[in-house]
Amino acid sequence: MNLDFTAEDDLFREEARDWLQDNVPRTPQPPDGWPQREWELAWQAKQYEGGWAGVSWPKEYGGKGLSLTHQLIWFEEYARAGAPNAQLLFVGCNHAAPTLVAKGTEEQKSFHLPKILKGEVLWCQGFSEPNNGSDLGGLRCRAVIDGDHLVVNGSKIWTSSAHLADWQELLVRTDPDVPKHKGITWTICDMKTPGIELRPINIMTAPGHHHFNQVFYTDVRIPLTNVVGEVNDGWNVAMSTLGFERGTASMSEQIRFGVVLEKLIKLAEERLGPGVLEHDEIGARLAQLRAEWAATRAMTYMVVSKSFKGAPGSESSLLRAFVSQLKQRSRRIAVDILGSDSLELPEHDPWIRPYLRTYSETIAAGTSEIQRNIIGERVLGLPR
Amino acid sequence: MNLLPTDEQVQLVDAAKSFLEGEAPMERLRPQYGQVGNHDGKLWPQLGELGFLGIGVAEEHGGLGLGAAEETLVFREYGRHLVSPGILGLVLAGRLAAGDAALTEKILAGKAKVGLSIRRQGGGWHLLEAKDADYVVSYSEEGSELRAVSDYVEVTDIMCMDSHLLLQRAKLSAAKPLRAVKGPELYHVAIQLLSAYAVGVAEGALRMGVEYAKIREQFGKVIGSFQAIKHKCADMAIWAEVASCQVAFSSVVVADKRADAGFQVRASNLVAIDAALKNGATNIQVHGAIGFTAETEAHVYLKRAHVLDTLSGSLREQRTGMLRDPVPA
Repeated sequence: MNLDFTAEDDLFREEARDWLQDNVPRTPQPPDGWPQREWELAWQAKQYEGGWAGVSWPKEYGGKGLSLTHQLIWFEEYARAGAPNAQLLFVGCNHAAPTLVAKGTEEQKSFHLPKILKGEVLWCQGFSEPNNGSDLGGLRCRAVIDGDHLVVNGSKIWTSSAHLADWQELLVRTDPDVPKHKGITWTICDMKTPGIELRPINIMTAPGHHHFNQVFYTDVRIPLTNVVGEVNDGWNVAMSTLGFERGTASMSEQIRFGVVLEKLIKLAEERLGPGVLEHDEIGARLAQLRAEWAATRAMTYMVVSKSFKGAPGSESSLLRAFVSQLKQRSRRIAVDILGSDSLELPEHDPWIRPYLRTYSETIAAGTSEIQRNIIGERVLGLPR
Repeated sequence: MNLLPTDEQVQLVDAAKSFLEGEAPMERLRPQYGQVGNHDGKLWPQLGELGFLGIGVAEEHGGLGLGAAEETLVFREYGRHLVSPGILGLVLAGRLAAGDAALTEKILAGKAKVGLSIRRQGGGWHLLEAKDADYVVSYSEEGSELRAVSDYVEVTDIMCMDSHLLLQRAKLSAAKPLRAVKGPELYHVAIQLLSAYAVGVAEGALRMGVEYAKIREQFGKVIGSFQAIKHKCADMAIWAEVASCQVAFSSVVVADKRADAGFQVRASNLVAIDAALKNGATNIQVHGAIGFTAETEAHVYLKRAHVLDTLSGSLREQRTGMLRDPVPA
């Protein structure tokens, strides 16, 4: 056991710090819509030009081909520099790209990965359906093979940023006559294909906040060359993506959140006086949260340590299940610090929208209940 | 950077595991209810012979010359087996005795018993596992001391909530300590090892609850198949994992004597005591009525978690301290 970084690691850290200091965007990140898309793509492009995009991605597809330790260092410096959390690019960078790296063909990799890295495209995810959320494996959006195309008919829902996206990672039912997990295909869908229609769905963080969509597919033709992995093997392909999300993909956000907690401690001192940290229930909660964010960092280090021995396993569910609830508890405390000011919802508020946003944490990408089933069954060996 | 134990560290843990499985089976904690007292003193000479009492003591003083990382791994095993916290007294005494060759030899060989003292609210002291001990250790951020047990006067026995432990009230005479060090270094070691022990308690309670959930049947099914129970087990697994990762992290920080040792150790203590208390309670609930009896050791995990909390200066005190230090870079 050691926490020593090599001289080469330290040099990498120094370079990262210097570059970030000079290049982190100074203009505020727009909260939604096309302006946010353009802003995030521009920042991604800048990172690519600086040579910092895809630190642990393979070199042949534009990455730096470095270890997960380097990725960790980059994320730590990224958080320290106060660099923005890429929200819209998350699916492309953290789902689609790792899935393509693991399961894609050469053509798919060399076409898509550089575009994602260079900040040229935005991806969305077409997994959940109106009747298949937690029971993802029962999805029904139908695709039949017609010549060298899949023809898709059906619907997806809770599709974040579908209205801003160029590409979609799409799960479809290609064989309805076999056990449910065996008839699913993972495919890349061009969002400009004829037959795709969107219905915007507002989310709870503010009135008129268009974030989700229901996506309708009517005879949407997708070339078979867009299938990732084999036809009917999409469940396994999808699991490799979700596994990644539950493990290392959330690393940057976890590191970044420690900074949020420090701001909350400062907010409590400013608004309630320094005594609040010693003799108040708020202080006790902040102290516990500070310890838990320190522990989250240690958990992230453990995930990296385990990655030296192999890919992250079901244990990463432990980290994700913990962090999603930790975020809720952390953001909640802002409301208690602010008192009646917490009822105000100004356009650029740093506390209330992010607080409301945390209610998605225990639902998206597998609810806390599904996470606990996975932990119970795959980590602890309890029966289904 | 690598938080996984090295091959040598794994060997040390395996040695501790196999010793404790043979010599400290959990069944020893299932006598009839009442003030039971500590049976584990008979383990000390054996642990001494195996070198476990001097893991963190320098080789020139007769120890193994390792550090807090190795001690942490072993204390986790003590926690899983609910070994008497007198083991902490011995390990701290070994460090305090360095420089006094005869005393060091006696302690590292496990030929002495060492209790722990905790300051009581409103004055005086609580002594734990000191009734048949030769020495008593106290630790705080200001400094740590090793004393002859006779330095404590007006000693009265008190029934301990954790009935496997011996508790007393006492006052401290004006006698000088046998050994004393100033500063927080040994305090950090103490809190680190208490936290490691707490991780073991959290893991032991988790394992016990999960094993029971796999065999106990109700409504024609094992109860672990019900989400109400499965999710409780998952929560125990999460809390134990959170604590074990942070305790591993801080063990290296303490071993390296980094400036952020205080911060990291306190963080470990807050998450590890929290995990031990939660898992101790949840394990009882998973067991149902049998968990409320003295016929299983479920209750001992919970009670030991409370003892660890007290020995750490309580969650309340640690939380106040947690906000005092700046977050390390």
